[in-house]
Amino acid sequence: MTNQTTSTVATLDAEAISLESVSLWRITWRRLFRRKSSVVGLGIIVALLLIAIAAPWIAPYDPLQVLIGIEDVKIRQAPCIHMLGCPQDQPQHIMGIDGNVRDQFSRLIFGTRVSLFVGFSTVTFAIVIGTILGALGGYFGGWIDNVIMRVMDVLLAFPSLLLAIAIVTVLGPGLINALLAIGIVSIPAYARVVRGSVLSVREMEYVSASRALGGGTFHILFVRILPNILTPLIVQGTLGIATAILDAAALSFLGLGAQPPTPEWGSMLGSERNQIFTAPHLVFFPGFAIMLTVLAFNLLGDGLRDALDPRLK
Amino acid sequence: MKNKIVVLFSLLVVASMLLAACGGGTGPGASDDAQDSGPFVAKKLEAADCDSTGIIKAVEAVDQYTVTFTLCQSDPAFLSKIAFSPFAIYPEEWIERTAGEESRTSEGLEKPIGTGPYMISEWKRGESVNFKAFDGYWGEQPLAETLVLRWQSEAAARLLELQSGTIDGIDNLGPADFDVVAADSNLTLVERPALNIFYIGMTNTFAPYDDVRVRQAIAYGIDQQRIVDNFYPAGSEIATHFTPCAIPNACAGDAWYPFDPAKGRELLADAGFPEGFSTKIYYRDVVRGYLPQVPNVAQDVQAQLKANLNIDAEIVVMESGAFIEASSAGQLDGLYFLGWGADYPHVTNFLDYHFGSANPQFGTPHPEIYENLEKGSQIADPAEAEPFYTAANNAIKELVPMVIVAHGGSGTAYRADVTNPQASPLTNEQFAVSDPGGRDVFVFMQNAEPISLFCADETDGESLRACDQVMEALYGYEVNGTAVVPMLATACTPNEDLSVWTCTLREGVKFHDGTSFDANDVVTTFTMGLDASSPLHKGNTGVFEYYDYLWGLMNLTPAE
Repeated sequence: MTNQTTSTVATLDAEAISLESVSLWRITWRRLFRRKSSVVGLGIIVALLLIAIAAPWIAPYDPLQVLIGIEDVKIRQAPCIHMLGCPQDQPQHIMGIDGNVRDQFSRLIFGTRVSLFVGFSTVTFAIVIGTILGALGGYFGGWIDNVIMRVMDVLLAFPSLLLAIAIVTVLGPGLINALLAIGIVSIPAYARVVRGSVLSVREMEYVSASRALGGGTFHILFVRILPNILTPLIVQGTLGIATAILDAAALSFLGLGAQPPTPEWGSMLGSERNQIFTAPHLVFFPGFAIMLTVLAFNLLGDGLRDALDPRLK
Repeated sequence: MKNKIVVLFSLLVVASMLLAACGGGTGPGASDDAQDSGPFVAKKLEAADCDSTGIIKAVEAVDQYTVTFTLCQSDPAFLSKIAFSPFAIYPEEWIERTAGEESRTSEGLEKPIGTGPYMISEWKRGESVNFKAFDGYWGEQPLAETLVLRWQSEAAARLLELQSGTIDGIDNLGPADFDVVAADSNLTLVERPALNIFYIGMTNTFAPYDDVRVRQAIAYGIDQQRIVDNFYPAGSEIATHFTPCAIPNACAGDAWYPFDPAKGRELLADAGFPEGFSTKIYYRDVVRGYLPQVPNVAQDVQAQLKANLNIDAEIVVMESGAFIEASSAGQLDGLYFLGWGADYPHVTNFLDYHFGSANPQFGTPHPEIYENLEKGSQIADPAEAEPFYTAANNAIKELVPMVIVAHGGSGTAYRADVTNPQASPLTNEQFAVSDPGGRDVFVFMQNAEPISLFCADETDGESLRACDQVMEALYGYEVNGTAVVPMLATACTPNEDLSVWTCTLREGVKFHDGTSFDANDVVTTFTMGLDASSPLHKGNTGVFEYYDYLWGLMNLTPAE
């Protein structure tokens, strides 16, 4: 980091101290917006969310509709964009036609829904389970901690994608099973983060005070401690979404995730991988979409980490 | 529980192979040395009667260079069948030495000894099978000194290697790549005739496929032309009959149903499914000449079923081995994608295997079909057999055990300087007759690694192609064709009713290990393949599927 940015942060901090009413969240928010990369990341994510919500209105075709006999298009036809000189009498398909004579653009648009759903749902699942496990382990310590964390160590010992493949193999291929698998393999990361934070927080004065005032275990853990350890969890979660989307795409690429004809980027990429030279548009667009989404979450995650880092205060 | 048994069983097999590999090498080998030099003692394989065997009653060495096959019935396809790769001849001593305890020894599975133009020099697992020219070959010496067989499951990767010049030829071009190769002056495209069938199978012991009207409805509701037009390469055609029409009597009888979704829905309504039903589409993601783009065809059939018949089909991709096991045992409760490529060009190879009385693949077999097939298979004259095949084909159409879709064209590609580029209709290219532009090494890339090189007990084309370079049978198929030509036999002549075939063997033929070929090698090879009670009847899985299906095993002990 250059001197200039350090000084920016310093001024910002001075500002933060002078205005006592400014909350941590507002400071974070401002810091986040000072970084161009995180703004770009956030912008892409907002755009993707809008696309996912408005998919039926954006997509010109039903993503499952086979156009054989409906339009005069050929299998794996290259993109046809009227603005770029494609003859007006040909139907417009801005990302071309896929291997089953469907509109690639519509499939890509609807694929956004699947990918975002995968990202958010697996991370939510993993955060909920991981937080409970980590918090219990960190707060109670002793044998509970030992049992929970050794199980987490075992899960961490496997490469995450490999473990996900193994879990899907047992459960059977399918989007829901893939979600579950990715969720399960991401639990340890959150459990460890939460446990570490709980360990450092549980001996603090305000927790002791709450205990002295007669607060129950549940109250202390979830009302006093948890809100104060959210910071690392948010960063981890944002970065985790990127990993989850990538893993889900990988599973679908291998045929273990979303099943046809669901429009999912990984499976779109996987089913047309042999056409990389003859119909590159079928591989490029889904691949680019995966890249863009993962990049966006990574940029935002990095930005959040810097913005929330207490050492920079 | 079942998984545990499988694991335990595989451990046992591995252990027994280890034992066999360590202990089996030295024992019986030493005593057999005398056989080559001593006087010829003729061997014989004979079943007690025709009830305890399939088609072959006896195989007998009459003298050193004459073998007779006595059959329990007339077999007009005898020569076509005997020429097929799994019936290649192994040396007697080698068969005994590599038999092993439970399954054939690793030497037996990896380094077969034959009489072919090439011999195995090394099988690098996961990488390649390497062959070197056999100096003592009885025929013309191979044009390239070294042959390398490699594999790659992705069509695009195969083509890329060919374009970059690291290999000389590839199998199964991707359908979209035909034009690319045709336009490239550095490459030669060879189209393989569509001697195969792709069908959508059903098992009539599962509802709703137990109702013939449902099966007919699906036949009406699938647009074959749309599938062939969009997902098959040039040279493919829609199937009017199960067997490709190039084969005599294949297309006797009525042509298949026209595409008529309204009629299909009507039949479904009659059968009690006016709103359609839910089912599954099972397939394995393996490219075959009859089905070059499996996932795309599966999604198209799924879309067609929904649009034309309102049938909701869920796609289920299965592992290849598990899929074949389940489909051939008739255990799949939905529709499944399977096909068949000709082993030998005879109508019995297509119809009898699928619709015979003992095949549970489509559920309960239909006597209306198999009774006609049994009669037809014993008649040599195609014209005389025609009425039976007409009746059988019409019964197949009427009863719809499965829905036929297409005969798929496929293709190979070679570098332009490779002479005699082949795309055999039986997928048994003979690389010995191709010269790779004067280079010493000929490299060919196929879809997958061979399972084993003991092809008497293998069925997949990738294994058989490797064996075809090394092994020879009494007859063979002409290069790039389907006609039979004499190989290890100079001639096999039948008696009048085609039930006894006498083969005169080629003299002066040497095996790769230097031993001479004679009639006892033939008898011992067939003892190994046919006689289920023989200690030599050991293979990779031990099923000897082609021996069983084409001839029927001998002396089967009842299952315990």
